[in-house]
Amino acid sequence: MIFTSVVFALFFITVTILNYLLPVKFRWIWLLLSSVFFYTYNNPASILVVGFIALVTFYSAKKIEKATTPKIAFQYYLLAIILNIGVLVFFKYSNFFTSNFFDVVNLFRSKLFHSNAPLHNYFLINVLVPLGISYITFQAIGYLVEIKRGNQTAEKNLGHFSTFLLFFPKIVAGPVERAHNFLPQIQQQKAFIYENFSTGLKLVLWGLFKKLVVAERLSIYVNSVLGNTEHHAGITLTFAVIFYVFQMYADFSGYTDMALGFAKMLGYDLLQNFNRPFFAKSVTEFWRKWHISLSTWFADYFYNPIAIAKRDWGNWSVVYAFFTTFMVLGFWHGANWTFIVFGALQGLILTIEFFTRKARKNMRKKIPDLLNSIVGIIFTVTYFTLSLIFFRAESLTAAFTIIKRIFTAKGSVYMENPSIIIFSILGVGFMMLVEFKKEFFNDLFTLSDNRFWLVRNCYYCLLLIIILIAGVFDGGEFIYFQF
Amino acid sequence: MFGTLKEIVQKKGYLYLFIKLAAFLLLAFFFDRAIGGIFQKFYHSQTSGWEYRTKYSIEDTKADILIFGASRAQQQYNPVYFEERMQQTCYNVGRDGEPVLYYYAVLKAILSRHLPKIIILDIENGVFKESESSYDRISILLPFYKSHPEMRSIIDFRSPYEKLKLQSNIYPYNSMLLKIVKGNIKSGNKEKVDMNGYLPLLRSLNEPVRTVDLSKPYNLDSNKLNCYKAFVNDCKTANIKLYIVNSPYYFNSIGKDISMEIAKDIAYKNSIDFIDFSKDDFFLKSPQLFDDTVHVNMAGAKIFSNKMIDSIQSKQ
Repeated sequence: MIFTSVVFALFFITVTILNYLLPVKFRWIWLLLSSVFFYTYNNPASILVVGFIALVTFYSAKKIEKATTPKIAFQYYLLAIILNIGVLVFFKYSNFFTSNFFDVVNLFRSKLFHSNAPLHNYFLINVLVPLGISYITFQAIGYLVEIKRGNQTAEKNLGHFSTFLLFFPKIVAGPVERAHNFLPQIQQQKAFIYENFSTGLKLVLWGLFKKLVVAERLSIYVNSVLGNTEHHAGITLTFAVIFYVFQMYADFSGYTDMALGFAKMLGYDLLQNFNRPFFAKSVTEFWRKWHISLSTWFADYFYNPIAIAKRDWGNWSVVYAFFTTFMVLGFWHGANWTFIVFGALQGLILTIEFFTRKARKNMRKKIPDLLNSIVGIIFTVTYFTLSLIFFRAESLTAAFTIIKRIFTAKGSVYMENPSIIIFSILGVGFMMLVEFKKEFFNDLFTLSDNRFWLVRNCYYCLLLIIILIAGVFDGGEFIYFQF
Repeated sequence: MFGTLKEIVQKKGYLYLFIKLAAFLLLAFFFDRAIGGIFQKFYHSQTSGWEYRTKYSIEDTKADILIFGASRAQQQYNPVYFEERMQQTCYNVGRDGEPVLYYYAVLKAILSRHLPKIIILDIENGVFKESESSYDRISILLPFYKSHPEMRSIIDFRSPYEKLKLQSNIYPYNSMLLKIVKGNIKSGNKEKVDMNGYLPLLRSLNEPVRTVDLSKPYNLDSNKLNCYKAFVNDCKTANIKLYIVNSPYYFNSIGKDISMEIAKDIAYKNSIDFIDFSKDDFFLKSPQLFDDTVHVNMAGAKIFSNKMIDSIQSKQ
């Protein structure tokens, strides 16, 4: 059930109406039941996995809190962490590990014993990966760490805790929610607030625009080109790679806007996930604006502990922490070497930016602010776009082929259906114009928050009409659903 | 559980929301009708282009001979030769990439206002193959949903919620803006209705013939199969002479395509002429007559159209 489907619209309308018709104290139960229905809609068996994670995490957290000695607390903590990571690894990475293991074994067999018959990998599992499993386990692990650190008290109500893990607007692709932000909201007595509903609806509409008008339109060109790289010229591949970065942003931030909007309409505030990343002046700043809930999760539970543990190494502790964090973050996206390289490329540039921070600061004093900003933005977006080639490619070989062909394959731009290109450019242009205005001229005249009802609503009607005219309604799922 | 209903609807927040939502929906409804109306007007005033051909096929053509199919119909049958040699009017209603669902919907629309004498239905290997994109492709029929009730049952195959989406007057013209603009700009087009629907291809192949295995299994789409059966049946009921054609390919085939076998079987059972050019030696030895391995070029279309006319005349 994806956010852009009619089925979801009917589901959400029903959930919302009944939510506000019910007495306040029962609403969380209704939201939990709705979330379970949402989660099991396509794959009912997956609820067993999520149920296991919820039970393990909930009871372990209570045991950690009540433990009489730090050693006992640590044992419960370790057990819960291992079980959570074990579930994640089993479903998401076991095939990667066993396949790589057998590849190495077969390589040795052929070199040492001249055996050409490869050993069959009997450990390959063929099960549907439960939707949003990475997000669910990360939320559970974050909760356990906070309990262990004493920053969070263990939730006493299993239902509340399950609602935190399963809340349907965020279950599939985040944001990676924190217990201290979400759990108190369940306990609050939530009255209906018109402004929440209105803000949420506007967010949903803007998310729909990003997804249907921009991301889905771009995907037509991107998929047809990057799906057949060997048939396309360098200039076409360049266009496709540039389109892909905007597709990725529109798809994921569009999904997030909708998730935040739906939650807001139900009275919940989720964590922000994007803050206009294409206006970041360095890659370091970019990662503070892109997939914020995940990057802050990694900062709190991975980067900082590593950097602190290795502080004796001086600056190298930061380098070490950058590389390990981003390679794990890359690997989190999927069991493929392409994601690891993507992560390593981020680690590399952050290291360079770390060591050149003083030199760059001095340089900034000598050149005008505007020029500095423009150069910084162009460099950041270009670097991220190039690194995304590894993110998109199916293998390292495919990624290097794309890069090679960008610089060597001659020919004209592929433009079988010019309307796709024109709609794509107009969509990206409008999206970036809105973001540009918010970033640099937020206090200036506004249509979306205009004080006149008619102007404001004409703007949202216009947005709705653009979606109807230029949206792609036969599109597929969100890119981040696979992670 | 619902005891608080009376209480909550009386609260200002809910009433305020209902009033605001109703006002917004009213405004959106107004824009939808107004802009949808503009789209409708300009859609129907096109004088060239893809959408024009579809509109002309559905609402205007009164040709004696009609050619149905996908790209292999649109790009291989030149109506000029049919008109010259058979002394009857001819229009090519084929459209690139469209599935059998489209042909049948167009046939139903045409039969509701006009009775052609001859119909040629070009089908290709895999015509009944299950494919999600086939349902996306028939979105070009959406502008006719309200005005052509006979097509609705086929358009409804797209999704159970299609009726709901079609409450909007803009939605039927989704993604068509630029095509409609282009179709209206070329108002000075003097060509006779876009070469009577025919679209010539101009490249020439220069490669040896290869072999393709057609026996690979795939899932069949029952909607497509039923539309094909209904197409045959409707032509038979209306006493239209129907020819079903498997036109030339530039490859040697081994094995049998399951869809083609079913199509042949249905044709034979209904005493419909099935003309098979798929293994025609002349075309298999003439790469220069092909644009690619499944479409003849303009020169090939001339020869193929004349061969088709010979076949029809020999059967009459």
